[in-house]
Amino acid sequence: MATISNAHSELIHDAVLDYYGKRLATCSSDKTIKIFEVENDTHKLVETLHGHEGPVWQVDWAHPKFGVILASCSYDGKVLIWKEENGRWVQTAVHAVHSASVNSVKWAPHEYGPFLLAASSDGKVSVVEFKENGTTAPVVLDAHAIGVNTASWASAALQDGSSSLQERRFVTGGADNLVKVWKYSPEANTYLVQDTLEGHTDWVRDVAWSPSMLLRSYLASVSQDRTCIIWTQENNQGPWKKTLLKDDKFPDVLWRASWSLSGNILAISGGDNKVTLWKENLEGKWESAGEVEQ
Amino acid sequence: MTIYSQAENAHDSSTFGKSLSLRVDGGFNALSVSPSGRDVVLASKQGLYVVDLDDPFSAPRWLHHLTSWEVADVQWSPHASKSSWVVSTSNQKALVWNLSRSSSNAIEHVLHGHFRAITDINFHPQHPEILATCSIDAYVHSWDMRSPRRAYYSASVWSAGASQVKWNFKNPNVMASAHANDIFIWDLRKGCTPLHVVKGHSNNVNSIDFNRASETEIMSCANDGTVKFWDYSKSLQEPQRTVVTDFPVAKGRYLPFGKGFCVMPFVGGNNSVYLSSNVTESEPGAVSKLQPIYVFKGHTDRVSDFLWRVKYSGGSTVDDRDFQLVTWSKDNDLKLWPVNESTYEKVDFQRHRSLEHPFTEYDYSTFRQEPLRSQNLSSHAHFPKERFVTGSGLKEFHDKNRINHLAWVSGVRMHHAESPRSLFDLDKLRNLGEEVTVIGHKFPKVVFERISVSTGSLTLTLSGPWSEQNPDDLVFLRIDCVFPPNYPFKSPPRFKIEENRELDSKKIEEITDQLQEISRRHTDLGKFCLEPCLRFLLGEKINLDVLQEEEQLLNLDVVDSLGINDLSSLESSDMRSGAISVTSRTSDEDEQDLDNKSSNDGYVSRSAHALDLDSTPIPKGCGATWTSSGKLVCFFTTESKPEKKQQGTQRLGPRGSVGIHTENLPEQLYDENKPHVPKRPKRYVETLSASSAHNSETGISGNDSDSDASFDSFGDDDWNDIMRTDITLRTKMPVFSNFGKSLASVASDDGKSNVSVAKSKNAVFIQDFSHLIADKRQLAAEYIFTGDSLEAVCKHNANVAGNYGLENIAHCWKMVGNLLIDRDERHNANFGWHQNGEGDKQFIKDVMEFLERSKNVQMLAMFSCILMDPPSTKRDSVGARSSEANIITFEYEDQSHFSQSRQGSVAPSIRSEDYFSPRQHVVKNRKPRLSNTLTPSEVIAQHSLLPDIRIEIMNSSELGFLGGRSPSLLDPSDEPKYRSYRYQYSELLFYWGLLINRAELLQFNSKQENTTPDLWHHSLGYGLDLRAEKSYAGVSYKALNNKISFLTTRICNYCELQVLGRATVCGNCQHVMHAQCAKSWWEQSIECPSGCGCQCIDMFDVT
Repeated sequence: MATISNAHSELIHDAVLDYYGKRLATCSSDKTIKIFEVENDTHKLVETLHGHEGPVWQVDWAHPKFGVILASCSYDGKVLIWKEENGRWVQTAVHAVHSASVNSVKWAPHEYGPFLLAASSDGKVSVVEFKENGTTAPVVLDAHAIGVNTASWASAALQDGSSSLQERRFVTGGADNLVKVWKYSPEANTYLVQDTLEGHTDWVRDVAWSPSMLLRSYLASVSQDRTCIIWTQENNQGPWKKTLLKDDKFPDVLWRASWSLSGNILAISGGDNKVTLWKENLEGKWESAGEVEQ
Repeated sequence: MTIYSQAENAHDSSTFGKSLSLRVDGGFNALSVSPSGRDVVLASKQGLYVVDLDDPFSAPRWLHHLTSWEVADVQWSPHASKSSWVVSTSNQKALVWNLSRSSSNAIEHVLHGHFRAITDINFHPQHPEILATCSIDAYVHSWDMRSPRRAYYSASVWSAGASQVKWNFKNPNVMASAHANDIFIWDLRKGCTPLHVVKGHSNNVNSIDFNRASETEIMSCANDGTVKFWDYSKSLQEPQRTVVTDFPVAKGRYLPFGKGFCVMPFVGGNNSVYLSSNVTESEPGAVSKLQPIYVFKGHTDRVSDFLWRVKYSGGSTVDDRDFQLVTWSKDNDLKLWPVNESTYEKVDFQRHRSLEHPFTEYDYSTFRQEPLRSQNLSSHAHFPKERFVTGSGLKEFHDKNRINHLAWVSGVRMHHAESPRSLFDLDKLRNLGEEVTVIGHKFPKVVFERISVSTGSLTLTLSGPWSEQNPDDLVFLRIDCVFPPNYPFKSPPRFKIEENRELDSKKIEEITDQLQEISRRHTDLGKFCLEPCLRFLLGEKINLDVLQEEEQLLNLDVVDSLGINDLSSLESSDMRSGAISVTSRTSDEDEQDLDNKSSNDGYVSRSAHALDLDSTPIPKGCGATWTSSGKLVCFFTTESKPEKKQQGTQRLGPRGSVGIHTENLPEQLYDENKPHVPKRPKRYVETLSASSAHNSETGISGNDSDSDASFDSFGDDDWNDIMRTDITLRTKMPVFSNFGKSLASVASDDGKSNVSVAKSKNAVFIQDFSHLIADKRQLAAEYIFTGDSLEAVCKHNANVAGNYGLENIAHCWKMVGNLLIDRDERHNANFGWHQNGEGDKQFIKDVMEFLERSKNVQMLAMFSCILMDPPSTKRDSVGARSSEANIITFEYEDQSHFSQSRQGSVAPSIRSEDYFSPRQHVVKNRKPRLSNTLTPSEVIAQHSLLPDIRIEIMNSSELGFLGGRSPSLLDPSDEPKYRSYRYQYSELLFYWGLLINRAELLQFNSKQENTTPDLWHHSLGYGLDLRAEKSYAGVSYKALNNKISFLTTRICNYCELQVLGRATVCGNCQHVMHAQCAKSWWEQSIECPSGCGCQCIDMFDVT
């Protein structure tokens, strides 16, 4: 088990390994992003990225076919795109359409191309396409009135070439306690709300779309109300079914949900400083699969 | 505070020798400076902006010209006689503007000779009427404005488009243009053969510049990251000097003074302009690294262009020129940078040296103002001077075709280079422009009709409760304000309220008197008074008595700006440590200026949003993310001190008594049944204020209890301790205004000390949980998809799973294997097996459902591959096979290749003992033919581009019979689902770097689709046998043209990016790869990367 302690002088808000599991990016309230090279149990700090003017909330690695690219979002309302070229990290782009803290940033599944999804406390989400000629085409959507806390892409199920791009979907969670599912509308060239999911009684802090498309689509949403709801939809259409991950409430507010690569295991974390793992058994019930404590 | 008077000559310029930043939104792309140095022109798709640099607060003149093309270049004529001429590009045309004409009619000539986009324009240095243009159509044209219908000189290089064209300064007949990697020197007298061709760059030349002093010296900058200095009278291959930079160089020019040059990067290079000296003579051919003597650093995006603004006294016999750098950047800031004395010295610029010929004198006037119209009456009638302000009048004011003056003014940032700005200077608003900006954002209902910062006059309209009949009615007011030059220091502005039907003159006088009183009291203290005056006009009570005591708090912005300033100072020092060492005092200040500006912008937007609505949730201190390899990255806060919590509850007492905020409703929602759960703030701002409160409690005397009550208090000091570490960022946040001065002054000191306290707070763990994940890389590496028989495949895979101790999986494989054997036997024994077949189907369905429930993508994909082929095709009698072989005949010599490729793709042969299969000998004698599974129509589709193929379907009755006999074990209606499983698994295989396995897998999907999935370069490169390069050297490369319309040809099957330019197309399967991708792929494999099974390399005549 590799352990990196006290890499940042302040609270860490996100830590993500890249596609190959070789590089770790962490971000913190100290306004920096750090890149580590991780090899088995050893790690080496390779770079500290300065550029944000506020705490950095989240980072996300782009698929390597686009190069070694990292996106980060911050309280300063900006999304910065970083790129490594010949061992040097440079800031290559700024996405600054939001007027308040950007709380979440996610690259789309690589099949869609270089699309970036950002959720902001100004109540909007934006989808930016980084086109080949260097220009960007942001689509800004009003999503949740008080603020959008999180956004997550649906995985790209296999579709035929061009039409898969038309199937783009993502999910947002906001301070209005709602979870909304959005779908790309080619006619309007924008994203429209497909479903609005009500179930939480407090701010939704994270939503995660399961990367696997087996029998059904899985969404996990965690909230400030100390519950986690699993939403399922059959065959990518029809109504969403709501299942509480656990009938009683968690001991503290929940912050983060993450699916393993084929959607087998869900990792939930929250204010009690614990990570719990969950797995759906053959009867469709969710049961604990482990716990991680520092 | 200075009022910018209209300068009569360059020496009175108010902006020279200062740094200035002007934000100009609107996608401007090109910049040029007028010869007098007073105006700059910016060009965009919307037209031209003419900005008077001496009066940056005035809105620019806008010459409309809507095009859909980016303006590549704009040039202001450098000649005194034509100082009103500006040339801009509009795709393949060049527009000659005459700024002394009215804006609606300013285009004097349109130069139309190129047939593709113009890239550069250059005025002749001696002849005012002559200019040269170059274009990507590879032509260079020279134009004479006296006959602008067509170019009088044209030359072309044919091979490559031109990036720049420049006239020689010494020889009026010589010009140079840059085409691709080469520089061509033309002599107008020698027709269209180039005089010289200078070759030496290894990548595109972006910029060239002739030396002003020496006729045959030219410098060039290129994408290869070098700046080369040539003397084409000496050598056309060997540069006199090469300077190497670590960025592609976009532009580079000789300095107009001394011996030196300036370069700017295309990308990278800190978005700076580098000034370097050429003073030291080096031997010819020397190569050196760029050693800048000054770096103009401060832009946040790449610099588009840089220019020199010059001032000197006309007619003087000594060289008293003074320069200022003007830069324009993609970050939408126009910046002016002063040049200091030491820089002049370093480039050997001898100032005050006597001149033989005085410099040309230019008329120091601006073209920002619209030229006066002809004085005849009719035009007066058309353009009434007074605008009657009604509803529609206001609308017109906001007409989008007009520049929003307020927005413009707010973009201007200026400070005097010579006065080091004290960060804690209360005089935050440094001039009227900034005051107007702040107020404009603060009072959106107040309309500024006219802003003239330079003359200090404003006209604004608002509605205030001044009605005498009904105090609730709002009365429309229009006020003229005139600010004296040394406002706000003891010189109050004068107000004049316009006559109004709803107000009598007595009332107006009364209001005016009060306004004068308010403004006088403020300006006596040296304060800006516009805000209190407006508050008064909007109906607020202004208490002038507290002015003295509360001077700090009167304007909350002051407190804010303290925080902002404080932060910017911290930040810039951070940046400085990381930045290159060549930063001088002034550029540091500019940096601060920039920081200041950006945080100001942030402030403006955020304050408009109202702080109460900052809904940023509290930060996550703990979380976990999965990685592709089944590892879990967890991060925690590592502090948990129970004794601290004790302390916390004690502390809660006094604060609780101060008063708990009632607004925080949502917390109740989850607190109802577990009171012991620590209460937690939900919003980030609350944690900020809370930690500040905590801070104030411990750090400062607690006389700020009032402010304390205004925000949330909550219980968990543990949390406080965590959040307290955020104090450095808190200093910039607008939250701060809540606390007033006492906190603000403390924060910066405290912030630093707290950072050091806050060590040892977090940890990141990477833990392996792959045992929980059903999909295993080890299995994937050893699993096979195809073999001598399905049973053999199952047996092999069962063994693989067994070897890794995965009994469940092994069992699964065995069961399916047994089923297949069983099925075979039944098939042999008895022809009427249909009923049993249903049972098999049901069994497989159950297996798949089980796997779906257990989310085992790997097994699902494996089964959906293996069971996809109808098993019967593999064990047909020889007779049936021979008839099948007749199904498709190609009248095409490649037929053998085709079938060969199909067979080759089934390559991995298993020679293990196969006890499942009773008829092993039969199986061994046959090669499985995947092509059998292609239905004829698909064959047509796949090979439709092959010429001369005739497809005949013979023995169709038997085909139908065969088809009926071989139902798939998988439900065909679920095929999309199975394809999706295979696709997902292929992604997994990609993660694991099992590229060959992936290609094998994708064959199963490509059987149904023509559009093949991607495969792109894998940087880790697994140990695959490398083939000699010559094995694919014979593959034909061809450039794709648009006529090939179907999808597969346009996407590289290796990197999945669009193919433009050089590519390889397999003549057999029609799959396309970039030439580069093909090279790297075929070092690894012989099969097509799309997984179609074609052995592309064998399709070509490889020698």
